[in-house]
Amino acid sequence: MTGLRILEISNLTKSYGAVKAVNDVSIHIDRGEIAGLIGPNGSGKSTFFDCSTGLGRPDSGTVKLDGQDITGWSLNRIAREGRMLRSFQKTVVFKSLDIEENLIIAGQMFTFPSLFSTFGLGRLSRDRVSALRDRARELIKMAGLWDVRHQRAGNLSGGQQKLIQFASMLMPEPKLILLDEPMAGINPKIIERVVDTILYANKSLGVSFLIIEHNIDVVTSICQRVIVLDQGQKLVEGLPQDIINDQRVREAYLGG
Amino acid sequence: MSLTEVSQTQQSRDLRLPFGLVLLALALCAPLLASTYVVHALIIALIFMLPAHGLNLLVGYTGLLSLAQAAFFGIGAYASGLLAVTYGTPFYINVIASGLVAGALALPLGIPALRLRSTSFVMCTLGFVIIGQAIAKNWISLTRGDMGLSGIPKPHFALGPLSFTVSGTMAFYYLALAIGILATLAVWMIVRSPAGRNMIAIRENETLAESVGIPTWRYKLIVFMLSAAFAGVGGSLYAHYLTVVSPLTFQMYYSTTMLIIVLGGGAGTISGVVFGSLLFVGLTEALRVTPELRMIAYGLCLLVLVFWFKQGFAPVINRLWNFIGGAK
Repeated sequence: MTGLRILEISNLTKSYGAVKAVNDVSIHIDRGEIAGLIGPNGSGKSTFFDCSTGLGRPDSGTVKLDGQDITGWSLNRIAREGRMLRSFQKTVVFKSLDIEENLIIAGQMFTFPSLFSTFGLGRLSRDRVSALRDRARELIKMAGLWDVRHQRAGNLSGGQQKLIQFASMLMPEPKLILLDEPMAGINPKIIERVVDTILYANKSLGVSFLIIEHNIDVVTSICQRVIVLDQGQKLVEGLPQDIINDQRVREAYLGG
Repeated sequence: MSLTEVSQTQQSRDLRLPFGLVLLALALCAPLLASTYVVHALIIALIFMLPAHGLNLLVGYTGLLSLAQAAFFGIGAYASGLLAVTYGTPFYINVIASGLVAGALALPLGIPALRLRSTSFVMCTLGFVIIGQAIAKNWISLTRGDMGLSGIPKPHFALGPLSFTVSGTMAFYYLALAIGILATLAVWMIVRSPAGRNMIAIRENETLAESVGIPTWRYKLIVFMLSAAFAGVGGSLYAHYLTVVSPLTFQMYYSTTMLIIVLGGGAGTISGVVFGSLLFVGLTEALRVTPELRMIAYGLCLLVLVFWFKQGFAPVINRLWNFIGGAK
């Protein structure tokens, strides 16, 4: 069944010792939607992300991607077979490799049918890599990084590295992208480019998004729906403008 | 203006192909030019290059520091020795079998070991060498304990009526050179494949590699097995060269030598490993002139390496290569 919901997470719970970092949270993402996930520091956003994408294992609850139960799958399998990709706050690029290589790596496991086929050096293998290189170059152009495409990714600015990460995530034609604070620590000019890229991917490529973000202007301008977490629980969800005016959300942020 | 242009075009002539041919010619002529003792040292260097190549796949390309190479080297040596002494199988079967046995044994050893984090993994791989030696010493019915296996025949090739035994040092040199070149080509093919790119991604950042769909755990296991297979082939060659195998083949010293070759030569580069095996095995042989000071001098050389060549000799080789290639 290819329903309306691309991602459906039910009753997700994760504890560290006595602390319930995520407590019985249920959310869903509709096909083609850009949803925001906000909440004060320590509200469990990152743990929730990790448990939904296979980096951590939830204690209980289920994660369904496109109707398929993917609870307990590893990060690499969710990426490869589910085409649900995620970004990280800090680790963004393969630093000692150039931009083109970064993007080719990001696409390889989606082009090669098996692990053993990646050891091939034959015609087929070369053709696959050159197709990836073409796509990588297209995306590099789109991200406005053409002039620096042979630079080591680690030499570029934080904002440029984030752009590389976005381009990388578009290599495999993903269904759903989860972004962990994509705007943190980058300058306003690049924020605009990141926003443009997200909107382009959403409108032209049909990618759905779930975005953790502290920059409230960005959240209200691009998200169609916002979910608020507080102390490991879902506090409220709704339209962006309703959320900013919600008394409970204000109290949560102000620690009231 | 025109003068400088002329000198530049002269400078930028690409001499890499002729240079490579000269190196190959030197390698082919070495036994004719050098003394038997030097040729012996070169054979040892070529033998150690095999486990070093394997280790480079692991340390240099995948980012896993391992001290287990001597264990797989020993397994390869014993596998060949036992096959040759017990069943009388020819060299070319033993050498392949040794690679396969070492590679296959790396699977059950790698599954628990690779679950460990960096430092614990290193300690665990060190354990393999010690356990290997203990087994070789104490499983007397199979390995003859400290007596070891002797009378392993020199490589013998037979094709119909033609047969040839690789008995002399010079002949063995060519055999080791041929296997060394094949192994270098094999590493080159692995590294240049898309899998090689995935290995580098794992070395750079394992979590990020996972997030782009790379099954890092399975890659690490496969590379661990491949590196063991290279060591196994090296061990086999060692057994057939020395014609004896003893529990001392499982030696920590060998693991560190292989690691020094890789780190000193330049981890993550193929030329670095080739150069490193010649340099560091050559160095231990050359230092035999001062037996009392040998280890001290060796240690001093390593200190120099650590302080002045932090990335091994790879940057030096790279610069030389670019210079020969005519790049400015």
